[in-house]
Formats: sequence, C-alpha cells, structure tokens
Amino acid sequence: MNYFWKIIKESLIIVLISSLMGLFSGTLLSANQEIFYAIPIILLILPSLNSLTGDISTVLVSRITSALYIGTIPPKVQKSERLKENFFGLLITILLSLIVLIALGYILAITTRIKIFNPFLIIFILLLTVLLLFVIMFISLFISSILLFKRGKDPNNFLIPFITSLADFLTPFFLIVFIIIFI
Amino acid sequence: MEQQESKSKSKIFKETFPSEIISIIGDIFAGIILLLLVLPFKSFPILIIIVPALLSLRGNLSGPFIARTSRDFIIGEFNKSSWVQNTLATFSLAIITGFFIGICSFMMDLFLIRTFILPIEVVILISIISIILTLLISIPSSTLLNYFSFKYGLDPNNTVNPLMTAIDDFFTVICFYITLIMLGVP
Repeated sequence: MNYFWKIIKESLIIVLISSLMGLFSGTLLSANQEIFYAIPIILLILPSLNSLTGDISTVLVSRITSALYIGTIPPKVQKSERLKENFFGLLITILLSLIVLIALGYILAITTRIKIFNPFLIIFILLLTVLLLFVIMFISLFISSILLFKRGKDPNNFLIPFITSLADFLTPFFLIVFIIIFI
Repeated sequence: MEQQESKSKSKIFKETFPSEIISIIGDIFAGIILLLLVLPFKSFPILIIIVPALLSLRGNLSGPFIARTSRDFIIGEFNKSSWVQNTLATFSLAIITGFFIGICSFMMDLFLIRTFILPIEVVILISIISIILTLLISIPSSTLLNYFSFKYGLDPNNTVNPLMTAIDDFFTVICFYITLIMLGVP
C-alpha cells in the first residue's frame, strides 16, 4: 500500500486548502444570494466562468514553466517576444471562449425562459471581470513563476494546485463587485 | 518575425480553444441545474456555500486521479494493484475532504450567514455523499477513457482531461441534487 499512502500524503493538505478557498467563495456567494434571484443568468454561467479563468491560468503557468526550462523565456521579470505571444494567444482564446459562453448562456436562458436582465450591461460586466482577472492572473502568475524557478522550484507543482481555487474565489468576487458598482 | 509571432498565437488558440469549448458546455449544463433545480431550495443560502468547494474538487481529486492513471498507462505501469490503490486513495481523500467541507460549511453558516436551516450532520452527509456519487461516475469513466485513448494511440493527457472536466462538473451538480433529494433537504 505504498502508493496509497504516497498519494494521501502528497495530496491531503493541498486538497483541504483548496476546499477552504472554495468555501470562502461559497460564503461570498451566499452573502450576495439576492443577485442570483435578480439576475439568474449569473448563476447559470458562473461554473463555466470559474472554469474558464482557472483553465486559461493553468495553461499559462504550464507554458511559462516549459518556456523557462527550455530557455525561450529568460528567468527575469521583463518583456520578451515569447511572453507577448503567450499573452495575446491566451487573451484571444479567453475572449472567444467568453463569446461562446455568453451565446450559449443566453440561448439556454431563452429556451428555459429564465428572466433576462439588461443583456448589454451583463455582457459588459462579464467582459470587464474576465479582462481584469486575465491581466491580474497573467502578471502575478508570471512573476511567481519566475521567482519560484529562480529558487530552483518547479512552478507547475506550486502554482497549478492553487489556481483553480484562486480563480473560483476571484471570479465571483470581481463579478459581485462590478454588479454592485454598475447595477 | 511578425508572421512567426502570429503563427504562435494561432497555435496557442488552436490547442486551447476546442478543449475550452467542451469544458464550457459541461459547465453550462451544471449552471442550468444549479439555477433550475438547486436555487428553489429553501436551504439555498447554505447549499451555495458547499457548491464551489465541491466543484473545486474536480481539479484536486479527479484531475490528479486522471493524471496518475494517464501516467501509469504511458510509462507502462498500469496494473490492477496501482489502479486499486489510486482509487482507494482518491475515495479516502474524498471522505476526509467531504467531512471537512461539511463542518466548515456549517461553521460558515453558523457565524457568517446565520440561516440555521440545516443541522450539522445533514450538511456533512450532503458533502460526503455528493463527492462519493460523483467519483463513482468519474473514476470508471476516466479510466475507460484513458484506456481507449491509449489503445488508439492518442495522448491521454490531451484527450481525457477536457472531456472529464465537462463530465465531472456536470455530474458534481447532478449528484449534489440527487443527494439533496435522497436526504430530504428542504
């Protein structure tokens, strides 16, 4: 049963920390539950939005880590061609995925007769949330990857387990903040 | 140089976009179940505390299980013993985490949200049963997907994860709803 204990030992702490982050996110949602009754489409697209920001950030860390190991990105906090390619490539992906998500969300909302609240304002809030999160995640994950790499650690092992939980917390946080500001 | 940069951007897009779409489709169905089936529950304020923690387990329990199974297939170390130990470890982690999520959700409700709708044992059971039901679907399906990907010469790392992301998120919410019905949650 060596393999069994190895998995438990390596995973337990990170799984509990991630669950705790998820619970903070849930408490934030619960404290603002009236938003879901007033603008139900937010609850419809929230799981996809969390996944989207988490997935793109995971891809970013994996790509930066690979580039650092093969030397196409220097281990310094500075602009490089490869970094720009990653930024714009992932930005295009996240924006087009958001368009698909919004389109699917509204198609489902119309077919299931869910109350639709000012779609232009909601789309603007979603776009603002995703863009802000993307920029924050890109800058912070890039700097963290460089710092970890310089200390001889693999950024994949340290950053990827936290990204899903961080995205799960930050996405509803910014969404709720913008809804409070604009609506 | 500019042409090369544009090619690289389009490569990132081509490799990432299709799996994102699969993931979005699975998650949007999870969202519709949350909206149509879970939102009307009287205990929704406490249920919504649990949901993000359950959804995050996809990345922390199912994801690593899939990655370990893919790796075992790729390096030729997949066998009954490794799979059984991997499965047992994942279920053990699920029970510990489910218990932890249940207790913490109850505490969050007790000190912050203050609905006092559900007793602690029900909150713990909701969390543990939902995770176990989800894993009962996720583990066999991801193992089969890994097996067939490997058998047909595809890299399980590229094929199984996006599909399982969609399957896991969708079934997490479905199993959560089934658990609520089973336990007679108001």
